[in-house]
Amino acid sequence: MLTRRLVVCLDVKGGRVVKGVRFEGLRDVGDPVELARRYEAEGADEVTFLDISASAEERETLWDLVQRTAEQLFIPLAVGGGVRTVEDVGRALRAGADKVSINSAAVAQPSLLAACAERFGSQCVVASIDAKREGERWRVYTHGGRKATDLDAVAWARECVARGAGELLLTSIDQDGARQGYDLALTRAVSDVVDVPVIASGGAGSAEHVRDAFQQGGADAALVAGILHDGLTTVGAIKTLLRESGLHIRSVT
Amino acid sequence: MRVTLFDYGAGNLHSLAKSLATAPGAEVRVQEDPLRALDTDVLVLPGVGAFGAAMARLEPGRDAMRAALERGLPCLGICLGMQLLFEGSDEGDGVGLGYFQGRVTRLTARRVPEMGWNQVDDDRTLSSARLGTVYYAHSYVCRATETSWVTGWTTHEGDRFPAAVRRGNVVGVQFHPEKSSSAGVRFVQAFLQEVSS
Repeated sequence: MLTRRLVVCLDVKGGRVVKGVRFEGLRDVGDPVELARRYEAEGADEVTFLDISASAEERETLWDLVQRTAEQLFIPLAVGGGVRTVEDVGRALRAGADKVSINSAAVAQPSLLAACAERFGSQCVVASIDAKREGERWRVYTHGGRKATDLDAVAWARECVARGAGELLLTSIDQDGARQGYDLALTRAVSDVVDVPVIASGGAGSAEHVRDAFQQGGADAALVAGILHDGLTTVGAIKTLLRESGLHIRSVT
Repeated sequence: MRVTLFDYGAGNLHSLAKSLATAPGAEVRVQEDPLRALDTDVLVLPGVGAFGAAMARLEPGRDAMRAALERGLPCLGICLGMQLLFEGSDEGDGVGLGYFQGRVTRLTARRVPEMGWNQVDDDRTLSSARLGTVYYAHSYVCRATETSWVTGWTTHEGDRFPAAVRRGNVVGVQFHPEKSSSAGVRFVQAFLQEVSS
């Protein structure tokens, strides 16, 4: 039986891990390779680099960073942020990424998902969906949550899977950074209608929130960032709570 | 100890090469020619790509590779690399190495590919490293007809399949040890130690 996964996300820019509130007031918090290795040692099941580089020059450092990380990290590595073409995906995979997440580019050109899945396999294609609640539904946004689309998040999730996405990274814009818990209704609405793993993202403030994403949201994986980087909790503490809650997770021995 | 990764052009080998290089005395090299890849102490068949394309690259050296394995060349086949050790695959054309009897077929499950961490049961592959929870990313599995060579099993939904097979110094694993954290790295190190001593 597959375990539920705890995914640690690192924001990278110009080859460094940065931290800030909504892309503002960014400050350098460390070397991505070292941080990724530390989280692996603590028991993270997967690491995601979200590239938030603003310029092409900064972005060029990403591939070198991915390669240096892949040479030292022995858990799956996903890369996202600014991936626009089949060539971008190929470059990330050759550098050593195991998966690549595609967000705005998939909305602009949905055939991109199928093209990547055909060329590289569904297992490395992650559709990243940013959704914002509107009444009883959720609207898809792109460009880091700045641009509204006409898409309904649940319908778009199904379409991404039909087009070849092997996994969905589902982020609640409303909850992101608020540390009040994941959007469980959104997570449940999507995980109920797709056969691929759903990674809940946005809102983790405690280990209990992660547990709820699994037990109530039906997520296969949960993405955690700020609360780990700020030292509010640890991978080990979250996994202990999950285990005590009867969830099937990977233990680190 | 010369450890040679046969590169059939499928993808990145960074993590695998580095995990092999952590073993004491291992000199890791990458070789694209299937015949030259046999001039080694240990052969590694990596696990990225599709069966048909990989077998096409391996074809010119298939008979020689099979013969080398039968003569005792240690070999570790990972994921697709394990599947190449069998007779053939529903995923693509080409005749496999046939070192293990059986055919590669699609997982029978709702969620395919199987992606994530799963448990290996009844593992007896290596004497010095027990397999626990390991990382999988695959759609196909090896249906070994001779189950005595199956040295570990995993179950995805209702489908129980060989996690590992071993005959002599040839080991095939369906999971990715190079993505299975320290337990996977220990497994790779233990394999190299066991077949080189």
